[in-house]
Amino acid sequence: MKLIIDETRCKGCNLCTLVCPYRIFQEGTAPNRRGIVVPTLDRPERCTNCRLQKLYGRVLCGVCQMICPDQAIRWVEEGPFEPQKVVIED
Amino acid sequence: MNFQDWLRADRLPHIYCTGCGNGTVINCTLNAVNQMGWTPEETVFVSGIGCSSRAPGYIITDSLHTTHGRAIPFATGVKLARPDLHVVVFTGDGDLAAIGGNHFIHGCRRNIDLTVICMNNYIYGMTGGQGSPCTPLGAYSTTTPYGCDEAPFDLASLAVAAGANYVSRWTSYHVQELTRAVKAGLETPGFSLIEAVVQCPTGYGRRNKLREAQDMIAWMRDHAVLLKKWRRMDEEGVPHDPATFPVGEFVRRNLPAMGVPK
Amino acid sequence: MQGNTACAEGALAAGCRFYGGYPITPSTEIAEHMARKMPKIGGVFAQMEDELASIASVIGASWTGARAMTATSGPGFSLMMENIGYAVMTETPCVIVDVQRGGPSTGQPTRAAQGDMMQCRFGSHGDMSIIAVSPASVQEMYELTAKAFNLADRYRVPTFVMADEIIGHMRERIAVPDSVEVVPRRPLEKGTLPFAPGEDNVPGFPAFGHGYGVHVTGLTHDDRGYPSSTDPRVHERLVRRLVGKVEGANREIADYEVTNPDAEVVFISYGAPSRSVAQAIRDLDDERVGHLRLKVVWPFPDFALAAFKNARVFLVPELNLGQMVREAARHTAVPVVPISEIGGELHTPRRLITMAEGYL
Repeated sequence: MKLIIDETRCKGCNLCTLVCPYRIFQEGTAPNRRGIVVPTLDRPERCTNCRLQKLYGRVLCGVCQMICPDQAIRWVEEGPFEPQKVVIED
Repeated sequence: MNFQDWLRADRLPHIYCTGCGNGTVINCTLNAVNQMGWTPEETVFVSGIGCSSRAPGYIITDSLHTTHGRAIPFATGVKLARPDLHVVVFTGDGDLAAIGGNHFIHGCRRNIDLTVICMNNYIYGMTGGQGSPCTPLGAYSTTTPYGCDEAPFDLASLAVAAGANYVSRWTSYHVQELTRAVKAGLETPGFSLIEAVVQCPTGYGRRNKLREAQDMIAWMRDHAVLLKKWRRMDEEGVPHDPATFPVGEFVRRNLPAMGVPK
Repeated sequence: MQGNTACAEGALAAGCRFYGGYPITPSTEIAEHMARKMPKIGGVFAQMEDELASIASVIGASWTGARAMTATSGPGFSLMMENIGYAVMTETPCVIVDVQRGGPSTGQPTRAAQGDMMQCRFGSHGDMSIIAVSPASVQEMYELTAKAFNLADRYRVPTFVMADEIIGHMRERIAVPDSVEVVPRRPLEKGTLPFAPGEDNVPGFPAFGHGYGVHVTGLTHDDRGYPSSTDPRVHERLVRRLVGKVEGANREIADYEVTNPDAEVVFISYGAPSRSVAQAIRDLDDERVGHLRLKVVWPFPDFALAAFKNARVFLVPELNLGQMVREAARHTAVPVVPISEIGGELHTPRRLITMAEGYL
């Protein structure tokens, strides 16, 4: 599973940065197209939910999702691995 | 079903200001409702007027966004006419304690099978931050520019005294506890009040040296005292810091209730 | 049977299964009768904490699909105004009985008046149209209350039974029919928007608990029911529809009785004073004196005045200082004269005869 912030919903209150035990959410620096400074994710794969949600069959921590007043945080399925063709310029 | 599936995705983002705690309370409530295993068809959300009362408009169930202070009598009508429906009321401190105060205590007295979630942000948010019956002594608002000189309501204790079957108070910082409390309220037959103290950085924090949502969340974390500890302090005669408030489960009992499906 | 009892019985016959009320003279007998009857037939009687809560509970119950009503009198009626506006905006069918008493304020709790006729029409803020009936006998208390439920459900609008203390407390022998006509609410077709106007500007009803997922709000809303309170076009379209669905159906809704259509002097009456007029017409026994008796008062049947082609004057006896007389005057070039009576006594037929003779 992959942790994402829905930029169309986030209003940049940074409450997620306050509650995450792994400090995955970091205050953003640059405003997006709507003029909102959305937090950035620091190595989100460390989140227990990303790794173990499927295994345990339930949400393990989820405090960021619960406290997010704008319903902007959720976990989505990661796309299956797709081989990419890389062109190496010489 | 995930609790986010209960939201009307086409209406998001909602109208709440940046950092408003109401969104958090919606999350906790929907999470609890979802955990109950109820379907949207058998659940009804009712609300009055105010920031808090905009919440049902973002939920996919049948919902009634009514007039100021009257959410509980509207919900009473729905519940008595269709006891099989689960009726949840969203309200705020102004809606519930000021203009709707009479309906609130009579709802508790009747012990009608509703779950009332009061988002207490200490002020009237929708109209721009006026003092409410829950504004703490000394706090600043647009109508208390020299500090509030009226004593505030203790909603939870009021509901206990008026006869509600389940009463608890948490804050939007205590998301897990709040979710559990809402679930307990939904499970308890009869009137349940869950008072959720929420931050209003725009209307309240800005005028009370808590400008950012994070500051307000930290303030609630530091000033919420667990009810057990609060009562122990009472027994030991330790005075309470006037800025602190007790959180926890105030009462869970089984008084005769109305509107409970047979 | 007493008028108030007949009102309650008419409501029950029409399928009313929710009553939310608060005691107030002279309407209390309706609540008392409902309290006795409702539990026996599986309905709900709720005595609420005030009239604000009474009408609120009625609207809440109505949204579950139940036929719901409340009854009150002047002071309680004033308290209900805000939520009546809510019912208009949200198109909630409900029946409100107002057994009118002398006002303003606490006034004369035990004496009759017709001082709330304009309040029921214009009492809540904003532009709106409602339906009101006015019974003139105990029999009509029964029939018109039952009819009010059909009108409320048909047009999705709060419908008023504007009775008065005289009719409410009067005892008469009535004929109770085996059954009354019940026209049920048209449900919303699945897949259509909950507030999209149909052909007749009345949307189908999406009752709670049937999976419609409807959001009902008193804010200006679009066809989906979602708030849209700043767009002038949405507001104008909505409010024009809410008013138009009632005013446009004026001829369909109208219910009145005409005596001597070729008359020159015509009484217009509704409610209790109709009885005095009827007696005066009988005593006069003159084809030059006619009578237009309104059973449906709002929307006002303006075309009924035009039908009196020979009318030289309209006389409007009312138990107030002149309310419906203004509405009548608005619709005709013929002089319209009020005959006011306040204090609780009905006009004497003698007084009406003298008035009529003065114009002959």
